Amino acid sequence: MENRPLEYDYTVAKMFMLTTILTGIVGMLIGVILAFELAFPGINTILGDGLAEYTNFSRLRPLHTDAVIFGFTLSGVFATWYYVGQRVLKVSMAESGFLMFIGKLHFTLYVVGVIAVIVSLLAGVTTSKEYAEFEWPIDIAIVVVWVLWGMSIFGLIGIRREKSLYISVWYYIATFLGIAMLYLFNNMEIPTMLAASPAGETGFGAWYHSVSMYSGTNDALVQWWYGHNAVAFGFTVPIVAMIYYFLPKESGQAIYSYKLSLLSFWGLMFVYLWAGGHHLLFSTVPDWVQTMGSIFSVVLILPSWGSAINMLLTMKGEWQQVAASPLIKFMVLASTFYMFSTLEGPIQAIKSVNAIAHFTDWIVGHVHDGVLGWVGFMIMAALFHMAPRVFKRELYSKSLMATQFWIQTLGVVLYFTSMWIAGITQGMMWRAHDEFGNLAYSFIDTVTVLHPYYTIRGVGGLLYLVGFLMFAYNIYKTMTSGRRVEENELQSASPMGA
Amino acid sequence: MFHWLEKHPFFFAVGVFLAIAFAGLVEILPNFAQASRPVIGTAPYSTLELAGRQVYIKNSCNACHSQLIRPFKSETDRYGHYSLSGEYAYDRPFLWGSKRTGPDLMRVGNYRTTDWHENHMKDPTGVVPGSIMPAYNWMFTNNADINTAYAEQLTVAQFFSVPYNKPVPMKDGSTKIVKMGASVAEANADALAEAKVIAADMKDQNIKDAIARGEIPEIVAIIAYLNSLK
Amino acid sequence: MNKIYLWGIIITAAMLGFTYMSFDFKHGLSDIVNQLAVAGAIALVLITVFVVIKYVRQMQVDTATGELADENWDGIGEYKNELPMGWSIMFLGTMVWGMWYFTIGYPVNAYSQIGEYNEDSKILNDKFEAEHKSISGERLVEMGESVFLAECKVCHGISADGINGMAANLNVRIEAKSVKYAIENGANNHLLGTEMPMPDRNGLFNNNTGALITDAEIDAVASYVANGMTGAGADVFAGTCAACHGEDGKGMEFVAPSIATFTPELVVNVLNHGKKAAIGEMPKFDRLNAKQKEAVGAYITSLSK
Ligand code: HEC
Ligand code: HEC
Ligand code: HEC
Ligand code: HEM
Ligand code: HEM
Ligand SMILES: [Ca+2]
Ligand SMILES: [Ca+2]
Ligand SMILES: [Cu+2]
Repeated sequence: MENRPLEYDYTVAKMFMLTTILTGIVGMLIGVILAFELAFPGINTILGDGLAEYTNFSRLRPLHTDAVIFGFTLSGVFATWYYVGQRVLKVSMAESGFLMFIGKLHFTLYVVGVIAVIVSLLAGVTTSKEYAEFEWPIDIAIVVVWVLWGMSIFGLIGIRREKSLYISVWYYIATFLGIAMLYLFNNMEIPTMLAASPAGETGFGAWYHSVSMYSGTNDALVQWWYGHNAVAFGFTVPIVAMIYYFLPKESGQAIYSYKLSLLSFWGLMFVYLWAGGHHLLFSTVPDWVQTMGSIFSVVLILPSWGSAINMLLTMKGEWQQVAASPLIKFMVLASTFYMFSTLEGPIQAIKSVNAIAHFTDWIVGHVHDGVLGWVGFMIMAALFHMAPRVFKRELYSKSLMATQFWIQTLGVVLYFTSMWIAGITQGMMWRAHDEFGNLAYSFIDTVTVLHPYYTIRGVGGLLYLVGFLMFAYNIYKTMTSGRRVEENELQSASPMGA
Repeated sequence: MFHWLEKHPFFFAVGVFLAIAFAGLVEILPNFAQASRPVIGTAPYSTLELAGRQVYIKNSCNACHSQLIRPFKSETDRYGHYSLSGEYAYDRPFLWGSKRTGPDLMRVGNYRTTDWHENHMKDPTGVVPGSIMPAYNWMFTNNADINTAYAEQLTVAQFFSVPYNKPVPMKDGSTKIVKMGASVAEANADALAEAKVIAADMKDQNIKDAIARGEIPEIVAIIAYLNSLK
Repeated sequence: MNKIYLWGIIITAAMLGFTYMSFDFKHGLSDIVNQLAVAGAIALVLITVFVVIKYVRQMQVDTATGELADENWDGIGEYKNELPMGWSIMFLGTMVWGMWYFTIGYPVNAYSQIGEYNEDSKILNDKFEAEHKSISGERLVEMGESVFLAECKVCHGISADGINGMAANLNVRIEAKSVKYAIENGANNHLLGTEMPMPDRNGLFNNNTGALITDAEIDAVASYVANGMTGAGADVFAGTCAACHGEDGKGMEFVAPSIATFTPELVVNVLNHGKKAAIGEMPKFDRLNAKQKEAVGAYITSLSK
């Protein structure tokens, strides 16, 4: 047994790969629509006035964010977990009927949850809290899905053969714990269907409606403690888990430094949670909380960069691989964008900079450096690496991958440069006083000036979406018509057809 | 020690949890009670205003509009006095927003009026050439959900002691009582009475007809809410 | 030259160029916040490009070395390399800086954003007083135009024409519709600065006829006033309105406002109290200071001349 290679069971991983791609397409398509709605507001009624309620910017925006976060990103996290977990713990899901069952149940309920989310957001059922829009019935579904994932993680760990946990597993565990804690506290809400009127009536009003346990400033504090760390434990921690596995595996290189891994991990865990205050600068939360947010944001650069540097140094002397393999290009650029956004974030967290940047498109630019350049690239790279191993077929087309890489890179560059200009321009216009000491611009002046940048951003986003469709097509063709490969071709670099 | 943790998943998980749980306790808890004390002049939302607030949330106006005036001269010049914590005491959820695609609305009730909102919500570019705000036509035909607003009032009054039917102090030294109905029918009647006053300042005949039929279109509720933002 | 340096230079130049483009040189030069924000943007570009080039060079020329750990996961090994020196120093450095900042630099509550606001706005207000207090004439009108464009054009339109009747057309003193409305409903908008109502039609006698004003007379006088006090209806005006608004319609102090022309005082009163009448409701504008109100009054008065 010990000598024979294990037969890993990728059933659940495959299912989540599918939802990663589907929700990715939906989420990014909506993103592109949103981008063009800001550039050309006529698109708000693209399906006619009658459907404008469902196609206008404000109804669609939460759908975009939640589709890409809870759909695309989470699916990607689950898909890679069900792949990486088995391999680094050296245990197959097939060995435990129970874990198989949990895995499939996890997937099924997850899909139900995703559908419920789409329907409810389109209908306008939302609590308005960013990245936590869902009303309590969906919250409960999410908690169940999460618990099932936890059972799967710790179940697999429980029957592992590899005694020592690999770095990626640290990060998956942290993702699980972090989101669990944050989500619970930020969604403390009381359903209003419990209300009874003095006249004794009950059960009136929308059954799904609820009201937050916290009010005003407190609600804001809890929300951004959550919101900031949802970014941490959704867009950072599990993606770091991915890169720690897929980059060394694909390149065949050993991790540069254990010590760096260790310090970056524990540093990130400790420092990240303090930084949420940077979303509330100049608000009504106490000055000292804001100051903490700023300070810890700056400290946070280092544990973030630790992982990125560790990855780049893992590729030390391997430039020929970077040049030759589009898959490795994706990952190297991902860690570069990770470095960029984890430097940009802290700079925007400095109070004077935030005075300009907050509320503007510069923040949106920062967001998408991270999500497009880091999260998106890394998830696609992970799926590219998994596909040949999961389907036992060669990746369909390397040249398509390379083209996709450049198209998407151009897309990200257009996105963040246009938002950089837009944000700084708008931030300064808002502050400007004229020679008489009056406000120099009315609000609408600061809107119309952005039109060219909104258009460029739309084009950038469209390029990214086109790249993503190329990715989906490539995976589809790999599944259906890639050349069949043997186990021994799959040791490190992924086999790719021309 | 870390090597040991890496071989003992349970303790590893405990370690991670301790590392991440700490910050929340230190940063969030100390201020909790103080931040939620209302400042003088802050009154709870009436049934109609609350229904309007729900329309605001349903349509995610907070995706483009903030409700937080930062203490900068340029912002107080544009929007009025900077925000105070206690002004949000009855805001569940808070609606500060994180993106100002459109202007801040924290005190929009001070410098925009019913008829302006009516024109603007129907056709933003007609009023403000170059606006990129969507038109919200369906608010003129959908009816506001007064029952849910009433259920929310009852909930916050019961669980968080929001002072409905009780005098709250105003800035000029007077007091104000915000009424909450004793029954669903009464809540609806109160909301309709309030809606009538607003509809009187509006131009759209369909709205006036709807009010006459006893219905409250969403647009009336959201204008009541916007007017209450001061 | 290595391609990577070339790219570094191109990216740096492009990003710095974009930042330069975004800078509001006309208004923002003296604003320290603008400068710090731009400094942050520049630092961001420079540090990123520098660091990326550094690591790309290592990928290009260095080789992986070090002692491998015993463990191995799915074929992935791990070196026991030491921490990169620069990284460790900076990590320690930021931690020490953070602690210093929080305990000695700006200890808890030593900084107050409201305090800072009060100082900043006092400086700006004092400057305003010093520089603009005595503005008058053309300059006052210019200043008024600047206020108008920032605050009023959302309702009255960029050319102050009221955007198809959604707000008052400020290029003319008043439209027939509004005159008619005032006569039929009376008016009480504090246009004189204090509560001073105008009676509705049931209190308006035409001294020429000795009877209450009639529908026909209302129409006539409305178009007379709206046409700038010319045309038919002069007799009704003289008989009914002149007693309060004066023969020429220019108003009488403490009695009735001018309905022939705008005056700065009238505008200031509208800004102080708002106005609700035939066209709709105009909000009051507490957040403008006295000089700004006077200026915009001068501007509006200049429009209909
Ligand atoms: C796509 C972004 C967007 C959305 C969504 C949006 N707005 Fe706006 N809003 C704007 C812009 C841009 C302006 C400034 C131009 C104008 O006045 O139309 C604005 C202006 C306003 C104003 C005028 C405020 C002022 O000070 O002039 C109000 C009131 C307003 N919006 C209310 C709403 C409400 C209520 C909703 C939701 C039902 C909403 N907006 C949704 C973009 C948006
Ligand atoms: C008893 C005195 C009196 C008489 C007579 C009178 N007015 Fe007035 N009028 C006033 C006062 C006082 C105001 C200001 C009311 C306010 O503050 O809104 C006013 C306001 C107005 C306004 C509103 C100005 C605006 O900007 O909306 C119009 C128009 C007007 N008068 C026209 C007339 C006409 C036409 C007549 C004759 C048919 C007339 N008034 C007779 C006292 C009078
Ligand atoms: C929210 C919309 C709105 C804004 C903002 C606004 N106005 Fe008005 N304004 C109106 C409306 C509506 C009227 C017409 C009231 C009526 O007569 O029915 C009006 C009337 C007026 C009048 C009276 C005209 C008359 O003939 O009596 C003056 C003067 C005026 N506005 C000046 C200003 C100035 C100056 C500003 C900016 C500082 C401003 N307005 C901002 C809506 C607005
Ligand atoms: C060191 C790490 C980081 C720091 C200190 C940081 C800091 C910040 C700051 C200051 C803001 C703006 C708050 C505001 O003014 O509104 C912000 C917003 C945001 N950042 Fe980061 N950032 C970091 C890394 C990242 C990464 C890696 C991602 C994504 C992959 C990311 C995603 C976001 C998102 C989604 C928002 C928008 C939140 C909102 O909805 O307002 N951040 N970040
Ligand atoms: C095809 C590419 C995409 C386009 C064109 C796009 C476009 C947009 C637009 C227009 C917004 C609204 C910005 C605003 O309110 O001004 C937005 C917000 C956001 N998007 Fe995307 N998006 C894309 C892909 C993604 C992906 C892949 C992710 C995550 C993995 C993502 C995460 C987010 C987040 C978190 C926000 C909220 C930012 C905030 O509130 O500050 N987007 N996006
Ligand atoms: Ca919830
Ligand atoms: Ca946001
Ligand atoms: Cu954050």
